[in-house]
Amino acid sequence: MNLKDDKMLRSSLPKKESSRIMRSLARILRMTVIYVLLVLLALFLMGPFLWLLSVSLMPGRNIFSTPPAIFPTFIDFDNYVQVWQFMNFPKYMLNTVIITVLGVVLNVVLASLTGYPLAVFRFKGKNLVFTLLIATMIIPSYTAFIVHYLTIQGLHLGNTYLGVVLPGAVSVFNIFLMRQTFIHIPTDVRDSGKMDGASEFRIWWQLVLPLVKPALAVISLLEAMSFWNSFLWPIVILNDTELYPLAAALTYLNGQFAYNFGWIAAGTMISVLPIIILFLFTQRYYMEGLAGAVKG
Amino acid sequence: MIKWLRSESFTAWAFMTPGLLLLAVFVFWPIIYSIPLALTDYSVISDTHFVGLDNFEAAFKDRNFLISIWNSLLYVLIVPFLQIFSILMAVLVNSRIPGIKIFRTTYYIPVVTSMVAVALIWSWLLGKNSIVNYLLMQVGLISKDIHWLSDSNLALYVLMFITMWKGLGYYMMLYLAGLQNIPQDLYEAARVDGASRWRLIVHITLPLLRPYVLFCTLISLMSAIRVFDEVYVLTKGGPGTATLTSSLYIFQKGMEQFNFGYASALGLIVGAMIALLSIIVFRFNRKGGVNPY
Repeated sequence: MNLKDDKMLRSSLPKKESSRIMRSLARILRMTVIYVLLVLLALFLMGPFLWLLSVSLMPGRNIFSTPPAIFPTFIDFDNYVQVWQFMNFPKYMLNTVIITVLGVVLNVVLASLTGYPLAVFRFKGKNLVFTLLIATMIIPSYTAFIVHYLTIQGLHLGNTYLGVVLPGAVSVFNIFLMRQTFIHIPTDVRDSGKMDGASEFRIWWQLVLPLVKPALAVISLLEAMSFWNSFLWPIVILNDTELYPLAAALTYLNGQFAYNFGWIAAGTMISVLPIIILFLFTQRYYMEGLAGAVKG
Repeated sequence: MIKWLRSESFTAWAFMTPGLLLLAVFVFWPIIYSIPLALTDYSVISDTHFVGLDNFEAAFKDRNFLISIWNSLLYVLIVPFLQIFSILMAVLVNSRIPGIKIFRTTYYIPVVTSMVAVALIWSWLLGKNSIVNYLLMQVGLISKDIHWLSDSNLALYVLMFITMWKGLGYYMMLYLAGLQNIPQDLYEAARVDGASRWRLIVHITLPLLRPYVLFCTLISLMSAIRVFDEVYVLTKGGPGTATLTSSLYIFQKGMEQFNFGYASALGLIVGAMIALLSIIVFRFNRKGGVNPY
């Protein structure tokens, strides 16, 4: 509806009607402004990825054209085929999956084991444990990686995946998150397990853990992202480049083939797609959990 | 003894032992061990000697270290911007309109992606014959190529921009959670009393969002001082020392030159700085007086 129509309408309609139309016009205007802002933001935050996708689909001569090409003149998958053949991506993918799964499992098990007594048991030393956990948050260990390196070498875990994963296998944040979740489990659950003569471990494993699946999902997702994307510590610990995870392999690829833009773009796309897809499928749990984690 | 084995205390410790053991090795031990380490000249190459406070003395005379601390402090400047922009974004995506969930998801994709990939993308967007320069010239904002990452006056700010670009979605989501946790009847009650939209924001939204602001400020503060990945991938501290941040410098001393003793001393100094900054942020928020964001 344009302005002229609006004026005509206003003069011909009773006052009440016209104010209703004004209000709905204002609403439409507000919605339009919101959508424009949302789209601009989306371009700002997604644009670089879309451009990367576009570059990865460009044939070589497009990439180095002047002015720089934003869209390919024709789409081909040569870059993907070539970089896939050259880089042994399945190997790097497998490395990343091993590191990620190992890291996620250790985090979930250790955080829920450690957080459980802090939530439901009464025992001597509980306050001491709490104080120690909080202390680690206040006193940052800024050079942890130096001592970690010495420790891992001392344990003879250099060049192994266990050495890559162990320093990040347990986190105070996850322990607190699990404790916060366990606190809200009704005491009846544990009591009824005890009546049936189940051991504490069985109560934890069979009765309590199934009730806290959302929290476990959140820890899994958070840790999956951080292990999937880790690159520096793997480079420090792994001498053998064949063992590198994707993100580390990517810096390696960039160092070797800085001139072959299309390849690196395709390689980068291959490395980011799995985690983005995982996120898209699980984002509901992730968002809720992230929110719950702060609220806790 | 047998009685103790069946007590809750024993079970509790049995549950916690694996986790606490790992925490002890990988969280407590580094904090404790870096103190004696900092008092030595420990390196892989030669014998180790006790050197007292020499490392600390050297640190305060080390030009590069002081520059790296200054750069890290400059990096903290992104904290207020990051918080303001992500709060505004959260308000924007809190509106109930069709398709809003798609936008929220879109904004989160930089957060999910690895810093290596993000850094590579931006290095091409900003590199020679780059898209960003081309577009800015087309629009008429600049007249000649800008060397975003090789200009020593610009590089650090460009890195800060990239860090912020990647983090916006993360903080937006936390603030969105905060906004959605505010009970709606508070607003309704205030509206019945005739409060204006502005008063609703000042008297309900902002006070109830404060715990989130504190939390987000603290974690973004720490990650700003800790910033590493983007610097390492994009500039390695250069050009010259223009983007040398403290974690990068400690990394160079420790993991590239294997100067473990000296690097530990530097780490202790920066660690103390971080602790101090966090305490200041806490103070600010407890007093309730000035809330800068």
